[in-house]
Amino acid sequence: MVGSIVITMALAFSILSMILYYLSFCGAQNTLNYARLFYHFMSILVIIASTILLYLILTQQYQYAYVYNYSSSDLPIGYKISTFWAGQEGSFMLWLLLTSIVGIVLQSYSSKRGDLEARVMAVFALSTTFLLLMVSPLFKNPFAYLYAESGFIDIKNINPSYIMQAFLEPFRFIDQNSQQSYVKMGPELYAALKSAGISMSDFVIQGKGLNPLLQNFWMQIHPPILFTGFALSAVPFAFAIAALMKDDYREWVKQAFPWVLIGSGVLGFGIMLGGYWAYGILGWGGYWAWDPVENASLIPWLIGVASIHTLLVQQRSISKSEGVGRFAKTNLILCILTYVLVLYGTFLTRSGILGDASVHSFVDPGRLVYVFLIVFASIFAIIGFGSLIFRWKSLNKKYIGEENILSRELALFTAAVTLGASALIVFIGTSAPIFNVSVETSFYNETHIPLVIIIGLLNGFSLALKWKQANGKDILKKLALPISAAFLLTLLVVVFSGMTDIMMILIIFSAAFALFVNGEIAFKEISGSRKMLGAYIAHIGFALFVLGVIGSSAYGKQAELDLVKGQPVQAFGYSLTFTGYKLIDNNQKYAFIINVKNAGKSFELNPVMYISSFNNGLMREPDINVGLTKDFYVEPKSYDGGESEKPNETQLTLEKGGAAEFQKNKISYTDSFKKGAMGSENFEFGVILKIESDGKIYTAKPSMKREGGEIVFVPSEVQGANLYVKIQTIDPATLKAVITIAKLVNKDADNPAPPREMLSVTASSKPFVSFVWIGVVIMAAGFFISFLRRSKESAV
Amino acid sequence: MKQKYIFGSVIIAVFLGLLVFLFTQSNIKYESNFGSIIASGKTVKAAGVWVKEKKYEADKISDTFSFYMKDETGAEMKVVCKGSAPNNFETATSVVVTGKFEDGYFHATNILTKCPSKYQDQLKTKV
Repeated sequence: MVGSIVITMALAFSILSMILYYLSFCGAQNTLNYARLFYHFMSILVIIASTILLYLILTQQYQYAYVYNYSSSDLPIGYKISTFWAGQEGSFMLWLLLTSIVGIVLQSYSSKRGDLEARVMAVFALSTTFLLLMVSPLFKNPFAYLYAESGFIDIKNINPSYIMQAFLEPFRFIDQNSQQSYVKMGPELYAALKSAGISMSDFVIQGKGLNPLLQNFWMQIHPPILFTGFALSAVPFAFAIAALMKDDYREWVKQAFPWVLIGSGVLGFGIMLGGYWAYGILGWGGYWAWDPVENASLIPWLIGVASIHTLLVQQRSISKSEGVGRFAKTNLILCILTYVLVLYGTFLTRSGILGDASVHSFVDPGRLVYVFLIVFASIFAIIGFGSLIFRWKSLNKKYIGEENILSRELALFTAAVTLGASALIVFIGTSAPIFNVSVETSFYNETHIPLVIIIGLLNGFSLALKWKQANGKDILKKLALPISAAFLLTLLVVVFSGMTDIMMILIIFSAAFALFVNGEIAFKEISGSRKMLGAYIAHIGFALFVLGVIGSSAYGKQAELDLVKGQPVQAFGYSLTFTGYKLIDNNQKYAFIINVKNAGKSFELNPVMYISSFNNGLMREPDINVGLTKDFYVEPKSYDGGESEKPNETQLTLEKGGAAEFQKNKISYTDSFKKGAMGSENFEFGVILKIESDGKIYTAKPSMKREGGEIVFVPSEVQGANLYVKIQTIDPATLKAVITIAKLVNKDADNPAPPREMLSVTASSKPFVSFVWIGVVIMAAGFFISFLRRSKESAV
Repeated sequence: MKQKYIFGSVIIAVFLGLLVFLFTQSNIKYESNFGSIIASGKTVKAAGVWVKEKKYEADKISDTFSFYMKDETGAEMKVVCKGSAPNNFETATSVVVTGKFEDGYFHATNILTKCPSKYQDQLKTKV
């Protein structure tokens, strides 16, 4: 309740601040101080609301729907904290929190730069207003009570001392399929509890818990970093609109540049952490699947990086001429587009529209939220592009100057175009499911191969180009060394790996070329002016990243292995021996022990399998031997304990008159039979099954019998069909039966085959996958260095 | 000036041409009517519900697993998917498989499972 009030108050202050900022831009006196004050009030209230949410999670207040749905008492504190952003409501809250904090810094930054503050903050407060609306009680409020909406909650989450009480009787339900008991939560139950004098927090004592896939260290830091990137992307948007408001396009470039750099660096780093999480926990061996959720944050990143290249040109040309500089319109478009694409991505991934297209579980948030997300993105797009069109003529008038073709400006522009092309490809592929089509990942891969080659070559050549005009001979002389080094490296790779794919060879060459050119210049810069050091470092990171991607995907090897306990199995130079398992995490998980030998070194890998109580699903966790030049990756697939397990055994649920299929045998449930009275000695209850196998028909009569006060299950064997049938349960009312059916050869418990413990795994070697991570970290470091430099430049 | 624009538009035209070509090569339609999937034999993304009453079977030798899916009209088809069942298969409600119908069953190269985030939705229909 308190949380909702705080959010609503913050919303009011955000709107007030936005209006007052706009009025000060329009020339109103005395409004600026109030606008500022109200912005800070809003931020403080958002921080308070976030603290309340965190407090509710940590103190396990399951009467709140959000805490109940995503947290539980048995979680360690770190995972409890990450519950904050595990669901839709909380992640919007996190995004809002980070946006308001970024706004505090932006307010102080813009207040020192002339009349900038009123314009920039009016636009920025529009972002906070929309995010506040999102978490307000109207839409995705994290402070909603569990009983506000009707729903079923598992009886195990209810305080046991109330379960048997009479008032609860009308609210108890049993799911026929799973035999699980539920309590129907809702306003009626809340009223009943209230009249019985029981508080909600005393009644619901456990939450549903956190998805086990999210119980991972990287999931504790990936979302906050990603959302910081999202929050920062609102800043260049605000600057661009502010420039359009004033119709002045010279100042904003310098002022927005450091924000664009830090935003892109943080967003890129956040995206990579998501990939690292996928690699380490999802167990399919990769780090990037072109999944809509991943793509949704990649598209704005690509546009943001494109804008860095053209902003650089504009900043240079402004300092040398009177006009607005080169690419003034391009930069406005790109900075507006970055934030609009963040919002578009949010719409795609959270509206439920891509429901069938993503592995991520999208909760359908309801019509209202769907429409709100469209409105959110559209308003920003309309404001952005509308004001651009409004100023288009004026922008054309203010442009002076023309450039020659072989210049670094053009190279930088081509880089931006290439990045834009990449963004367009991902945009098309990700949006396709809206129109009921979908693209395979090959669409992204094949289109990006030529783009990456262009980027690598372009990057290498452009560094040799001087500003304005360069001379052909000069370029060749400068590039002789890196070209020969890249050629040599490519040759070595081709000779040693036997690679014949021309596109792959070109990619390796272009990445190596970019790497050596940037490396050489960066090395000189460290002892020199260091002006553009950040750019060279970022490009080195990119080149390493490309080499890592190619190495791990084009040169990786993979094998499906059945590891019989104690017997070594060979796979591409590795020898794997499965020696058993140990129980970890309160004996809930199986950690398999595999001894691996490779080139004289030996190590142990412990892939894990367990049944998660969260979703009753079998979870598999890979284990990785990490190396600088090669990762060895083992993903468990299945485990066969040998003794008790019956391979090929299946459970069938049959209605009377129904039929099912088991290994080409048709099993029909024709009738049931009963002998004796229920509860009496020798009572027998069974089913009659007709089995059709290879055109012949057999009958089986498995049953359950009362013998000496105990229920025994009498199996039925059908020699002709080589089958074994046993009853699990029969519902006396509906006569629905659950039976176990197995091949006869496997059923003989008295004469078991020698126990053969077997672990099936997928083993893969991933050469240079570490370059992917190292490359991105170096790239992010490059962004950060450039950010520091550009901050100094824009200092007042 | 003129040259620049010609140069630029040629590049854009080539790029868009390539993009459209690749898109038509790799795009796959969603199809939730199993009747037309079976009839057409085209590669599609089939969306439907896993028939839990008919348990799934894993075949280690061919490294596949098979199960039954039904669409909104209740039409069923057998699906044989490469690889092992994904992590959350047991709890999945709706399934999207990519592949084509051939020789009496659906050959899937890719499977995507969606889990109910709240079991309330399932139960509401039952009670």
